[in-house]
Amino acid sequence: MIKKEKKFRSVKASKLSSTIFSYITLGILSIIWLYPILWIILSAFRVEYRDGNLITTVVGNYFPKGIGFENFKLLFENPTGNNPFIRWFTNTLIVSVFTFILSTLFTLSVAYVMSKLRFPMRKKFLGIAIILGLFPGFMSMIAIYYILKAISLTGTLYALILVYSAGAGLGFYVAKGFFDIIPNSLMESARLDGATNSQIFTKIVLPLSKPIIIYTALLAFIGPWMDFIFAKVILGTNRQMYTVAVGLYEMMYGEQVSSSQFTVFAAGSVVVAIPIVTLFLSMQKYYVEGVTAGAVKG
Amino acid sequence: MKKLLLLLTLVVSVFAFVGCNKQTTEDITTANGTNAPTTTVEAGTIKVWVGAESQAFYTQKLEDYKTYYQEQNGVAFPHNFLVEAVDTGSAAGIFLNDTEQGADIFTAAHDNLGRLIAGSSAVMPVLTPALQAQIQNDNPEMFQNVIKGSLSGQEFTFAVPYVAQSLVLYYNKAYINETQVQTWEGILEAATTAGKKALALSGTDGFNNSFILLAREDGTKETSLRLYEDGVLENTFGTGDDTIAKLKWGQDFFTHPNGVVSSSSTAWEVQLQTESTIAFIGGAWHFDSAQDSLGNNLGIAVLPKFTITESQAYGDVEAGTVFQSGSFYDTKAFFMKKGSAYQEYLEDILLYLTSKEVQEESFEAANNLPTYKNALTEFEAFEEDTIEIQLAKMQLEMAEFSIPQPFGASSKFNTYYYQKGAPDLILEILENNGGNYSTFAEILQQMQYVETIWKTGVNEKP
Amino acid sequence: MEHTEDRKNKKTSVISRFLSFFQKIGNKILKFFINLYKSIINGFKKFFARFMDGSIGTKLSHLIMGAGNFYHKQFIKGFIYLALQFGFFFLMITSPTVNNTPIGFKSLGNLITLGTEEGGIIFNPDFTFEIIPTDNSMLMLLFGVIVIGIIAVYIIAHNSSIKSSYKADLDKRHNKKPTSFKQDIKSLLDERFHVALLTPALIGILVFTILPTIFMILIAFTNSDKEHVAGQQLIDWVGFLNFSNIFSGTGEISRRFLPVLSWTLIWAFFATFTNYIGGILLALLINKKEVKFKKLWRTIFVITIALPQFVTLLAMRSLLMNQGPVHQMLINIGILAEGSTFEILQFASNPWTTRIAVILINVWIGVPYTMLMTSGILMNVPSELYEAAQIDGATKRQAFFNITIPYIVFVTTPYLITSFIGNITSFNVIFLLTGGLPRAGGGAIAGQTDLLVTWLYKLTIEQNDYNLGSVIAILTFIITASATLISYRRSKSFKEEDAFQ
Repeated sequence: MIKKEKKFRSVKASKLSSTIFSYITLGILSIIWLYPILWIILSAFRVEYRDGNLITTVVGNYFPKGIGFENFKLLFENPTGNNPFIRWFTNTLIVSVFTFILSTLFTLSVAYVMSKLRFPMRKKFLGIAIILGLFPGFMSMIAIYYILKAISLTGTLYALILVYSAGAGLGFYVAKGFFDIIPNSLMESARLDGATNSQIFTKIVLPLSKPIIIYTALLAFIGPWMDFIFAKVILGTNRQMYTVAVGLYEMMYGEQVSSSQFTVFAAGSVVVAIPIVTLFLSMQKYYVEGVTAGAVKG
Repeated sequence: MKKLLLLLTLVVSVFAFVGCNKQTTEDITTANGTNAPTTTVEAGTIKVWVGAESQAFYTQKLEDYKTYYQEQNGVAFPHNFLVEAVDTGSAAGIFLNDTEQGADIFTAAHDNLGRLIAGSSAVMPVLTPALQAQIQNDNPEMFQNVIKGSLSGQEFTFAVPYVAQSLVLYYNKAYINETQVQTWEGILEAATTAGKKALALSGTDGFNNSFILLAREDGTKETSLRLYEDGVLENTFGTGDDTIAKLKWGQDFFTHPNGVVSSSSTAWEVQLQTESTIAFIGGAWHFDSAQDSLGNNLGIAVLPKFTITESQAYGDVEAGTVFQSGSFYDTKAFFMKKGSAYQEYLEDILLYLTSKEVQEESFEAANNLPTYKNALTEFEAFEEDTIEIQLAKMQLEMAEFSIPQPFGASSKFNTYYYQKGAPDLILEILENNGGNYSTFAEILQQMQYVETIWKTGVNEKP
Repeated sequence: MEHTEDRKNKKTSVISRFLSFFQKIGNKILKFFINLYKSIINGFKKFFARFMDGSIGTKLSHLIMGAGNFYHKQFIKGFIYLALQFGFFFLMITSPTVNNTPIGFKSLGNLITLGTEEGGIIFNPDFTFEIIPTDNSMLMLLFGVIVIGIIAVYIIAHNSSIKSSYKADLDKRHNKKPTSFKQDIKSLLDERFHVALLTPALIGILVFTILPTIFMILIAFTNSDKEHVAGQQLIDWVGFLNFSNIFSGTGEISRRFLPVLSWTLIWAFFATFTNYIGGILLALLINKKEVKFKKLWRTIFVITIALPQFVTLLAMRSLLMNQGPVHQMLINIGILAEGSTFEILQFASNPWTTRIAVILINVWIGVPYTMLMTSGILMNVPSELYEAAQIDGATKRQAFFNITIPYIVFVTTPYLITSFIGNITSFNVIFLLTGGLPRAGGGAIAGQTDLLVTWLYKLTIEQNDYNLGSVIAILTFIITASATLISYRRSKSFKEEDAFQ
């Protein structure tokens, strides 16, 4: 009897210690993961002066000595005229909306065709798509620039939208995995009822595909906010046309200005992060489904 | 879901409509832009690239130019200006990537000349006698050669200088007094007393070791070192006696326990700030960081002198010879796009922008050191005594002991000098890790490899 | 547990597999050409048979596109085809110039010569001048490729016009009416729906992915570098010179290729495995029964993914700068001496300091992804397996090690492989954190932490050595393609094993 009690208590004790261990580990890991993010937020609100001038560079103290909105003011007021953040924000918004519409259309079309429709050369197309995806992306940047130049689109946002969306058809893999799961019997019964292929697609398959549509759209929408390479090559020196990513990147790396604008950059990052993170978190469920679908199908 | 999408699309379409209708290039005309009826010429936009620090100034100056033009010619200037901030270090590269989109007038350091005029040339030479005369009269002798190049068998001036730059010594006044700062021995003494390191550098490349390599004898102002003299590849010589002696001195300085600290382009600020090092060699572009680091203790001086000791004497160079540290003295210049639609106006604009009056205003407004050769005596601003003026004066004083980077004649020179491993070989001599370069013979051998790299780009060292 | 063994064996037998792999490739290439030859012969036979069998309208279609359609009273179709043919020849013959470069039949000649006019300025004594533009070799190369593409499209279109006329012939023979235009459009929404869906996406891919890739591959065979700027100097074909320079020669590529390649592979290996194992461990930890607020914990880690990488990585970089708080904290704790110049990232004196730091930071970036994916999989483990184990009397611990872990590994192994290949071409982490520095000395452009792709970027965008960049890109492609092929064959045999039961 006593033995059983002891065993019971020690089982409970080991369970308790494992729980404590789990929480402590998670706690430490969370701190490590959030440390840089908190640094950005703190830097965005940091207001310290030296000899009357606002310090915008990186400093050695993690916690700011003063807090305020000065950096945000600098960000939005754009005193030098060279960092029109609001304009950048609108540019990126426009580009990402049109990109996500076009990209999603392309990706889903190709994914559906690859998954459900049978046609000659289907396997070859699959192979070609994989091979093309293996070429490093910006190898083609210069060529794309020349092409855009020939049609006089360099330096415009239209060019960006085109570049981001045009190749989207190649990224059909995850979406295809999702469509593969939809049972063919559903479509066959629809066909028996007299539906055409296009009707099957629009009226039956798409309404079932909310998760993958959201996943694809989400990724396509976020893309332009993150890309600073392609956008820089295409937009050139016209700072008014920059997207947020190029603009912020240039702030930290651009000029031979001896003091970089780190705190203003941090403020800009916070402003950009808010919509993106909210979008991401609210769609987290779909994102997980999408990632899993891709991985499981492999 | 669909409604949300529709709404979002609607909102963004409105944005897009508004946004894309706004001009993609903003007009920087003032409210008083004259609209005098010019029947034949349609108003275009002349694109101008300058560094970000000067953008506001030149935007204003180009507006003033329009007024000036009106006064000179009686008709309104028919075009508008668009001034974009483009980092002068990369402007040439950006220009060459797409010359059609490139600016009609842009700024670049003079040693970009080689690659700008290579082949059939991307930039236009100066053709009007007025501008040629101004360039020749106003600029110091040392610049006259590096702004010229040959095209179609003739020699032309391509670069229109307007800003000068040199390296100077930034130092901590709390540790180094005015006598000590004149010689490296003095600075070393100050460092040893305080238990600090004497010097930080912002890098180990060919630009930063120039204070030793380009040093000249104090009295005669001579040195045996030749680098692509007159734009000729073969006029390169790096194994003279004085070069070897200077490098021996440099080695002793680098290996001294309180001597030079290995550094990087971000670490030197921290070192100055924490006072672990008391001096730094840098350019005008380091001024803001230096001021942030040292505050009121910031002092600026000409690069110091040094004396050859017994153990450093070699060949013709006797002990006791005094050398003055050297530097590269560069000019940033305006270039004109070849094939610009506004070619007929450009040279007059440059005549205006690089005139000594505008150079003086540029100095006062944007701290751009003028290239005008009599600036020190004639400009009023130099009579003040701020730290910025001190920076300017010290740079001007360095001119006597400096040469402009001689790499503009061909784009190969720049590559051979900086990018084929020569600076690393020189650093090996200076740091003398493992004592491999303790004898003069070893230093001479190494410099022969260096000279070969300078001339051929090939590193023959096994 | 075969999987762990497999993973170990993968490393050692890779060499032997590589060799036999290349042998098999050789065989495959030979077979490919034989099949190609056969299909060309067959194609000609079919072509000729069709010509003989077709009506006079079809026979005419071989010359005039749409003739057959007119013959069968398919007026709209015929008109479209005719217009296409007219447009094609108009373009090709008149060769309009875009940016001073012609696009038309002339482009084919230009493709071979890459320009002949050196250009210059002629100065007249009265201050006037005449600018002779230099032939833009890059545009000529681009337009040459485009024209070849247009010709290919034309051939397909012409063939399709013959096909449609022939189809109408056959319809007539079987007493069916040849399809009207309206019917054709309707079929696009049904039997040929795949055409309707694929075409817009395909056009985008063709113009913005395939065309640029072909263009850049061709550049690897030219001398387009910073000394040969398009529009200033003429660029020429140099054949395989750039490739042979990898093995001989003293240039950048020969000196740095092997070091960069080996670091890239080391990086890909460690980056993949640390993220993989870290992510799985983290997912398992959160998934433990005792842990509450699972969603909260996951969200904390997901926030790292949500933020753009250039923000998080630049934040990391500034944190680790010598002016930054980490350096200061190390001094405060006493690990570093006051005024120490110990650099972690770009200017470290020991490249391995930076390399290890980069791999660790990459863990910070990548583990949330793997964690999310594993969490999703964990939630979908088929419960029958657990039930069966319970019936068999297994303890929770045994269930965990014999069911959960193998299941996860089995399901995510394909991901592991694609992730490895992806890490070979991972750009952001290295570029934003270190820019490839510390320097490699000897004036090399590639630094000590440069991957193949960041090196490519530097060569192309910063140095304007386009031909070298293209060579690196092609080599990177060969490596990733080989890795993909190898992994595909393994995973196929993998899936055939019922390793799970």
